[in-house]
Amino acid sequence: MPKPSKPASTTRRAAVVGANRIPFGKAGGAYAAASNLDMLTAALSGLVARHGLAGERLGDVMAGAVLKHSRDFNLTREAVLGASLSPQTPAADLQRACATSLEATWDVANKIALGQIESGIAAGVDSTSDAPIVVSDRLRRTLLKLSRAKTVPQRLQLLAGLRPGDLVPVAPDTAEPRTGLSMGEHQALTTREWGITREAQDAVALASHHNLAAAYERGFFDDLMTPYRGLTRDEALRPDTSAEKLAKLKPVFGLKGESPSMTAGNSTPLSDGAAAVLLASDEWAAERGLPVLAHVVDAEAAAVDFVRGEDGLLMAGAYAVPRLLARTGLGLDDFAFVEIHEAFASTVLTTTAAWADDDWSRRKVGLPAIGQVDPARLNVVGSSLAAGHPFAATGARIVGTLAKLLAERKASAADGAPVRGLISVCAAGGQAVAMILEA
Amino acid sequence: MTAEMREVRLAEVPTLGSLYAQALGRMAQTVMTTRQPTTLPAVRYAVDDVAADRDQLAEYQHLLGEPGTDVLPAGYVHVLAFPVAVAVMARADFPLPLLGMVHLANDVEQRAPLRLGDRLAVRAWAEDLRLHRAGTQVDLVTEVDRDGETVWRGVSTYLAKGRTVAGAAAAEPGERDVPALPPVAGQWRLRPDVGRRYAAVSGDRNPIHTSALGAKLFGFPRAIAHGMYTAARALATVGVARGDAFRWTVEFGKPVLLPGTVTFGLGARATGGHDYAGWDARSGKRYLTGAVTPL
Repeated sequence: MPKPSKPASTTRRAAVVGANRIPFGKAGGAYAAASNLDMLTAALSGLVARHGLAGERLGDVMAGAVLKHSRDFNLTREAVLGASLSPQTPAADLQRACATSLEATWDVANKIALGQIESGIAAGVDSTSDAPIVVSDRLRRTLLKLSRAKTVPQRLQLLAGLRPGDLVPVAPDTAEPRTGLSMGEHQALTTREWGITREAQDAVALASHHNLAAAYERGFFDDLMTPYRGLTRDEALRPDTSAEKLAKLKPVFGLKGESPSMTAGNSTPLSDGAAAVLLASDEWAAERGLPVLAHVVDAEAAAVDFVRGEDGLLMAGAYAVPRLLARTGLGLDDFAFVEIHEAFASTVLTTTAAWADDDWSRRKVGLPAIGQVDPARLNVVGSSLAAGHPFAATGARIVGTLAKLLAERKASAADGAPVRGLISVCAAGGQAVAMILEA
Repeated sequence: MTAEMREVRLAEVPTLGSLYAQALGRMAQTVMTTRQPTTLPAVRYAVDDVAADRDQLAEYQHLLGEPGTDVLPAGYVHVLAFPVAVAVMARADFPLPLLGMVHLANDVEQRAPLRLGDRLAVRAWAEDLRLHRAGTQVDLVTEVDRDGETVWRGVSTYLAKGRTVAGAAAAEPGERDVPALPPVAGQWRLRPDVGRRYAAVSGDRNPIHTSALGAKLFGFPRAIAHGMYTAARALATVGVARGDAFRWTVEFGKPVLLPGTVTFGLGARATGGHDYAGWDARSGKRYLTGAVTPL
């Protein structure tokens, strides 16, 4: 049995001071003409405006996108220059698939915890509407050789070598390079393996829409969001959806297997959007009169061997969370809120099923099961099914949302006891990142 | 603006294409008529409820390098509102010919940020008809209000070369001191399609910008860049340092032939704001000179 590593003894914890996102759009919707740079700049500008950071030099800004144009090699720095931060604020691009901005949060928080920086922003953005389309490898190599060719006959010879098929552009897709299966097809295999029903998946989707709609109604997102391009709410949100409506949808994944159950209703839509989180030391926040919503306690990344079918592609959260809890000595009961990214409704269900399965957990993770998640604590203000999922933006959306939930709960509780929240975000490549926040 | 001005309410912002076509028709007519107006029309054009277009805004921001937020770049507001001023210039009783006029200078005050979704009211009129050593010049004033408050004000100065309007005020006194060139901050390599791209986003499809043939008709060897494109690039380079309320001025020199390379310089003022200039590195001749200063 592998021994969990000891938590790092840090002198301080990074504070989540605030967060901002733009409403998430549906592919081809309100943000069809917006680029990743536009949306990231909009999310950062809103964060800067809300916290009075114009002209401020922050310690670092880390952000990324999953689908990225090659011209955007310095996407985050470009966005910083377009926001009203001091132009002396440095920035780095990073990427860990759908966990990109959770990874960014972790990285910025660690720099703050180590005392290397006092403040920073973690963010993510993605556009499926403005996705890069590239040329075929054969055309690309030919074009590169053409640029080096010196004579006309050399150029003609190179061009003559092209076939019509080489000219077809290549659009990105969500297929795993090593398996050729899309994320949905992978999750369809996992869904079947864990015996997850259509009804259970539709119930997760329904709750997501109703919870998100209710959160908008009570103004929960008012200080977490900047309207953008005419959107004031997430475009995918269907407040009036019902179990009946969801039940009518045709399955779209796992159609070759028995009783396919994954539909467009219980899978996240392709989305456009950006989200950002402001992190700092307590001192930095206090000096500026800014609140501390929560602190970053610890985080854990995990990966599974999905290539050989050892585990489902999106099951790494079933490893990351038990390890993280073991290291911090916390149990599921210690968390007031649990946020599991709804890549698919079934991802939430298979992950929580694995967490509760003692035999599976001991055999696979080498740790006892962490138990059942109380549904009343899970994704209480909705998640990706209703909000949408611009890949790299989701982690920052969840961190901001959870930090505010924790601050609200802490403020309403008289005892001053710590209020904790748990995050699990699965990612392409069989990965996941888990994080604990505490208010 | 004089008190006796009459306000004419237009249903919507006219398109520049239709105004140019009107003006072209009038050029043919004026050959026949003998009586030329000698004063500016005492009329103010007004359009209520003007709004930015989401996709046009994105295209403008991408072309000029402005941040892709919902804040309307000052140059985009010019694109949105200036056709109302052009409508004044396209009137039959306007004393100068719209087509072929030279944009000498532009002076914009952005008093607060305007955003996508704001309902705007635009007013425009002509004033200060005066002689210039090369002809007659006039100011076109455009004001943009939000909730009854003027948030954006632009003054565009145009020159009708070789025209002398009887009764126009005397020319401004001689040459002023030319400020030194600011330090080099960059280089704009303008591709041949820059005129067409700015035309598409601004609606200003004046042939001198979109085709070599059109440019030749007006005496230019090749198509020339829109002056406001170059001024807006300068503003975008100053970027967020301009703040929320600023004045953005430009004086145009030699036209930028396309394709072309502009050396761009920027210098911070001790009192706040930036001076900028764009010039030809070989000849040293200036394409544009201006400043972006806080209000």
